[in-house]
Amino acid sequence: MSGGRKKLKLPQQDDYLDLVPLIDCVFLLLLFFMLVGRLSTDERTEQITVPPTKTAMKFDAKKGGWTREVINVFGNTQSGDPPSNTIRVGTKQWSASGINDYSGYQALRAMLDSIYDKAEKYDDVKVKGLKLPKVIIEIRADADTEYRVVQEIQQVLTDTMDLTNMQPKKNYDPKTGKPFVNLDFTTRYTKD
Amino acid sequence: MAHGGGEDEGRLDLVPMIDCIMLLLLFFMMTTKFSSEEKAINSLLPTDKGNGSTSTEKKDPPQTVNIRIVPEGMRKGYQPGEYLGQLDKIRAPGQVIGNAWIIVGGAEPLLVTGNVLRAKKSSEMEKQVEEIHRYIETALEKYEANGKPRKEQNDIVIHCFSGMSWKYALLAYDAVRAYEGKVGQIKWTGDPAELLAARAVNFAPPRIRNYAADELGQELFEIVNMK
Repeated sequence: MSGGRKKLKLPQQDDYLDLVPLIDCVFLLLLFFMLVGRLSTDERTEQITVPPTKTAMKFDAKKGGWTREVINVFGNTQSGDPPSNTIRVGTKQWSASGINDYSGYQALRAMLDSIYDKAEKYDDVKVKGLKLPKVIIEIRADADTEYRVVQEIQQVLTDTMDLTNMQPKKNYDPKTGKPFVNLDFTTRYTKD
Repeated sequence: MAHGGGEDEGRLDLVPMIDCIMLLLLFFMMTTKFSSEEKAINSLLPTDKGNGSTSTEKKDPPQTVNIRIVPEGMRKGYQPGEYLGQLDKIRAPGQVIGNAWIIVGGAEPLLVTGNVLRAKKSSEMEKQVEEIHRYIETALEKYEANGKPRKEQNDIVIHCFSGMSWKYALLAYDAVRAYEGKVGQIKWTGDPAELLAARAVNFAPPRIRNYAADELGQELFEIVNMK
């Protein structure tokens, strides 16, 4: 393999490669990536182009018992026949193909129910007896997601829909629902 | 400097360290992403509006300000089937509906170019967002009930055609917030409590449930002809 070489020089003390500039460079690079980079957390791995806005704020710190759940919405949502949408929360993901496929909404609701049961609650000011969870639901939807999907997720969050046919629940009693009302829409600042 | 004094033995073996650093570097390079930092806009879903969907028969309550978002070119004066025909002309297979019209009240519609809003930071994008803000501000000023606190102002409802991009509805919401912030001197902080004291702004629930093609025409008909 190394037969091409005529004269093999034995390494001597003076032949040490000067590694200092290399280390300098690598350190600088390392420092750069450590400072500039943001580790992608599990719930935000999907590459989504969120819409730009002007009144956006940084995420509110979780204080006073509030927690946050991120609902990612993305996919081929306007194009394609039929359009297919994907909803992902944490590691769970549901894809709906076609506009009358409600399985994703049903699975989402089942997950929301368990989040509701575990969450700290407070009293709603408008409806007596209704307990609201101290959970901020963040809807992280792609800018070109069909509006319909975001609309339907809001309906699922209010817990007023019968998800087998996406019609309003019959004999709906607001006190027995498990609604989530505090939303955050993920966006980016126009100047960022 | 090396206390051993011998020239050769004083050299540090740097190879293991370089191995380590290279591994770290590789790790940070792979896991880093450079997307601009994401932010949030908070919103509150109503708990006192009963259950959901705006059925087709129900009249809209008279005291709401409706912000309507439809595909470009959808004017009043057609039948549902004709709107569907217009829609089919705009939507090409495999593509999103390109441009939108934002309409408040009887004002001339504002044309919004979809692609610009998807772009990374650019002067065109900022200009477009600025235009939407100005349009909605001018429109809302006309519906201002002078002297009333923000909470008692007419509710704002954003009606967007269900097959369009979500970004338009969010930008309309953004513009309303900017207006409320300016007129009501509210400094939005993201605290869930601040929305309880603010004017109600909602996204309209779905108008149709069975998304058969002809219902899309019906939905467009309703939104275009709304007051």
